[in-house]
Amino acid sequence: MKKRSDYRSTFYSRIENFVNGREEFLLYKPKGDLEAKQLESLEAELTEAADLLEKREARQRLQDMTEPLDFLKKFHRHYGKIAAIICVMLLILLLVAVSWLPPFGHPDNPAENEVIKRYIEKGEEETGAVNIVTGLILNYRGFDTMGETHVLFIAASCVMILLLIAEGEEKKSSYAFDRYLEPKNDIIVQKVANFLVPVVFVFGIYVILNGHLSPGGGFSGGAIIGAGLILYVSAFGFKKTGRFFNEHVYKVAKVSALCFYVSCLSYYFYMGAHGLDNHIPLGTPGNIISSGLILFINIFVGTEVACTMYAFYALFRKGGL
Amino acid sequence: MEWVRFIAAVICLAFAAIMEIIAIYGVYRFRFVMNRMHAAAIGDTLALLLGALGLVILKGLSWFSLKMILVVILLWMTSSISSHVIMRMELCIDEESIDLERIDM
Repeated sequence: MKKRSDYRSTFYSRIENFVNGREEFLLYKPKGDLEAKQLESLEAELTEAADLLEKREARQRLQDMTEPLDFLKKFHRHYGKIAAIICVMLLILLLVAVSWLPPFGHPDNPAENEVIKRYIEKGEEETGAVNIVTGLILNYRGFDTMGETHVLFIAASCVMILLLIAEGEEKKSSYAFDRYLEPKNDIIVQKVANFLVPVVFVFGIYVILNGHLSPGGGFSGGAIIGAGLILYVSAFGFKKTGRFFNEHVYKVAKVSALCFYVSCLSYYFYMGAHGLDNHIPLGTPGNIISSGLILFINIFVGTEVACTMYAFYALFRKGGL
Repeated sequence: MEWVRFIAAVICLAFAAIMEIIAIYGVYRFRFVMNRMHAAAIGDTLALLLGALGLVILKGLSWFSLKMILVVILLWMTSSISSHVIMRMELCIDEESIDLERIDM
């Protein structure tokens, strides 16, 4: 609690100090306004002097510590010049590198090769996905996307290592003070969340399932579902969310999604590396159930992303799921 | 008829752009949370409605315009709720925001 600056000199503050045992009330009784003011100014001078002494001592100690490192002083003296020289050198290097780049949009550029033609012309026929981008990132470049999903998994694990409070008193207190500053059970937020959360979930599922037909896919749909989970938590609290999404569900969903995803992709890798045909029917492009394994990969990626987003929020908020 | 519709749509979109500029200016101009929230709310409500209205007039009544109206309804709900949550948080944690009369420029 912050106190006003003129509170200190009032009668009540002295009573409070006396009750708390910080000063002798009777000895401190002012005989006149002047004396009290003098006392106060004396006190202020004393504290100022003490502060100055402390500061001087600290500076002396710092000097003692840094004196052997004399070259640091020299370095600091020339820091500006050295930084300017390094910046100019970096600038020249980058400009030279840019001048060596091929011109933008030229047909002979190395980026304009047969790969892009293949993606655009044969993408729908080979992957069965109407959305070329999804067919590209989940099928042709599946290895890259698998790495991205692993990065998500590792990031969530690292945040868990740093922030997860396992058990004991700390866990209890962190759970109790979770909504210490926040207004609890805000009825306006709850009513709107009642209406919005199902809409958000349905929209996220739509984006995931339509990943191979329209813009969207596992990453964006998973982010939408994670945002819906976060909205639900901030409206109703962790107790109600824990009924359908707790640590156990999180572990099972995340690990199994990653495992299924990797097994789907290893099928592609095995078949591609040995020059075998794809035996999974692609279906007619444009249907929901088509394009082979891309639909399932989208679902697994979506689960992974939704779990990661929710886990980040929960871990940063109270150190547990 | 086509010209009238086009001009109405352009007027709506121009007003939406002006409101958005005012909102952005206000967000950077003010220093106090609630004044900035008020400025941002102009962009979230009036500019959004005018922009969507202009596009609906331009396109005519179709599934596209129905989707635009749905977007406006959802964003009006969510933006007001987020403002409400920010306001309550501000009142909870900032001791100085009790003096509601102040206008910090």
